[in-house]
Amino acid sequence: MSTASGPIYEVGDLVIDLYAGNVSVRAVDGVSFAIHPGETVAIVGESGSGKTVMTLGPLGLLPEGVTVDIRGRAQSGGQDLLTLGPRRLSELRGRSFGVVFQDPISALNPMKRVGPQLAAQARRLTGATGREARQAALDLLKRTGIPDPDDRYFRYPHEMSGGMLQRVMIALALAGKPKVLIADEPTTALDATVQAQILELIRQLQREDGIAVLLITHDIGVVSRVADRVIVLYAGRIAEEGPAFEVLTAPIHPYTIGLLDSVPDLRKSIGEPRQGIPGVPPDQSMLVPGCRFAERCPKVEPRCRTHRPPLDQVRGRAVVQRVACPPQLRALREMADA
Amino acid sequence: MSILVLKRAAIAALLVIAASVLTFALVAAAPGNVAALIAERMAGPNASAELIARIAADLGLNDPLPVRYLRWLGDAVRGDFGISLRSGKPLSVEFAERVPVTALLLFGGGLIAFALSLGLGIAGAISNGGPVDNVLRTISLVGASTPNFFVAAVLVITFAVTLNWLPSFGGSGPLSWILPWATSSVLPASILSRVVRVNLQDAMSRPYATTGFAKGLTRSGVILQEALPTIAVPFLTTFGAQFALMMVASMVVETVFALRGIGAFFIEVIRFRDFISMQAILLLFVVFFVVTNLVVDIVCMLIDPRIRKAAGA
Repeated sequence: MSTASGPIYEVGDLVIDLYAGNVSVRAVDGVSFAIHPGETVAIVGESGSGKTVMTLGPLGLLPEGVTVDIRGRAQSGGQDLLTLGPRRLSELRGRSFGVVFQDPISALNPMKRVGPQLAAQARRLTGATGREARQAALDLLKRTGIPDPDDRYFRYPHEMSGGMLQRVMIALALAGKPKVLIADEPTTALDATVQAQILELIRQLQREDGIAVLLITHDIGVVSRVADRVIVLYAGRIAEEGPAFEVLTAPIHPYTIGLLDSVPDLRKSIGEPRQGIPGVPPDQSMLVPGCRFAERCPKVEPRCRTHRPPLDQVRGRAVVQRVACPPQLRALREMADA
Repeated sequence: MSILVLKRAAIAALLVIAASVLTFALVAAAPGNVAALIAERMAGPNASAELIARIAADLGLNDPLPVRYLRWLGDAVRGDFGISLRSGKPLSVEFAERVPVTALLLFGGGLIAFALSLGLGIAGAISNGGPVDNVLRTISLVGASTPNFFVAAVLVITFAVTLNWLPSFGGSGPLSWILPWATSSVLPASILSRVVRVNLQDAMSRPYATTGFAKGLTRSGVILQEALPTIAVPFLTTFGAQFALMMVASMVVETVFALRGIGAFFIEVIRFRDFISMQAILLLFVVFFVVTNLVVDIVCMLIDPRIRKAAGA
């Protein structure tokens, strides 16, 4: 990865509290990460782990009706997104950050024909005029692998399949030539056969344009297929972070181990019981001093319940892998010393 | 597409026929004898039974109801609604004079309600819980719950009597239309602005609104470009219903502002027990309601691609 050019987007000490009525939830609790041009970073975690809030929150893309309090830094192109006013932030969306959502059928406006919507986006973001904008829209449809773009141009979303619509969604996200593509569960709502095609498309477009892809998913299979780096999120905190290969093959954090263990492996015999992780994720409306995974952790020590585990780098590995679990890191060191 | 329009039109025609039967039956069943009424008006309270019988025979009142209905409908279709007992003029002549007045009242009021409700609904959505939103919500609540005769009285006292800016009754030049239009648009504008506001709020919570933000639109941009197109169908449907109800309200508005339209005429003929006119006006109302709804349905079909698709076009 070309890390020499520096990160295109960097988040530091991000804390996001969500308020609905008089209930408050710390959805993101001190998260830091960076993504570089051309890199694909997967953010993995179960529902409610804060992966969507952490990625869409700084861009001001959380649903209306939820009061959001965001602290920390979210820097891109020399600007801190968290200090920008609504108008300046809206100028970054579409231009610097393209977003692809989970369910394209509900994420695309039912009243808008796909081609003209793309053309309008090209006009607004790239200053293209009439014919250029139309051509840009057709090119985007072609690039995203939509067959017969001239015909699809005037289609409404309800006239197209989910897979085709996700391609349109990707085309829409790319219309402003963004530097970072955020894909929030882009394949979850699609058929299994279509999922692979969409992932391949994202990968191919990334190679062509050198954009950074921030992929939010709960699907380990997706991660292993496309991600360069993985961030494992648990209850609003990073449990483990590192290159996809290392994290998937040699996980260190007990949560990552449990997560990978609960993925069905078709090569193993059917009927063999899955391991899974006992217990349920913690109630994030309560702030606990220690490790959030402590209640479910097989390696838990007394100190885990009182001290927040720092995200420390694993020593002795050729790559940068960080883990928020002192007991496991200590065990690794002892093994290396022995 | 055109097949669907034809289908809807056929249903509308059936509705008109069914409603016309009902109208005819109701008036026929109403207490009072038309022949006796006419005789009374011709010869005073002591009209002879012979005169009544002759009039009844002349009018064909002795024929069976279905025959009378078909004759009435056949004449009505050809534009002959009979002669008003109230004015002694053919109803076709009355309608020719009065329909344009009511039409002007409805279109002026309807246009104001349309524009005002869109503008206020959008302003409320943009303000989103801010002072503008709260003030508009209160105003529309008051507007939706104030009877139109009271609105008319307040407007007349304020703008005609106290300030003396506008004439207090219609039919005297363009300025005289302002108060009737304002009166008839208050209720529909209040209800419709809430419809706009609430539907916009709902649309803003949909994923496609979030996509709008992700595209780089500002909040106002998302409201206007993403949310607004999607509320067209609920808005137009409610507008059609409110527009049709303005016809009912015209009875009060025209009476208060002394406009010589259909609504005021209807009140007049009811007081006079002019069954012939009542029948004709009710038929006119029915046609107006059905046609308004038909037009709304067709417009909704034209603008919403999903309805077009559901229609198998």
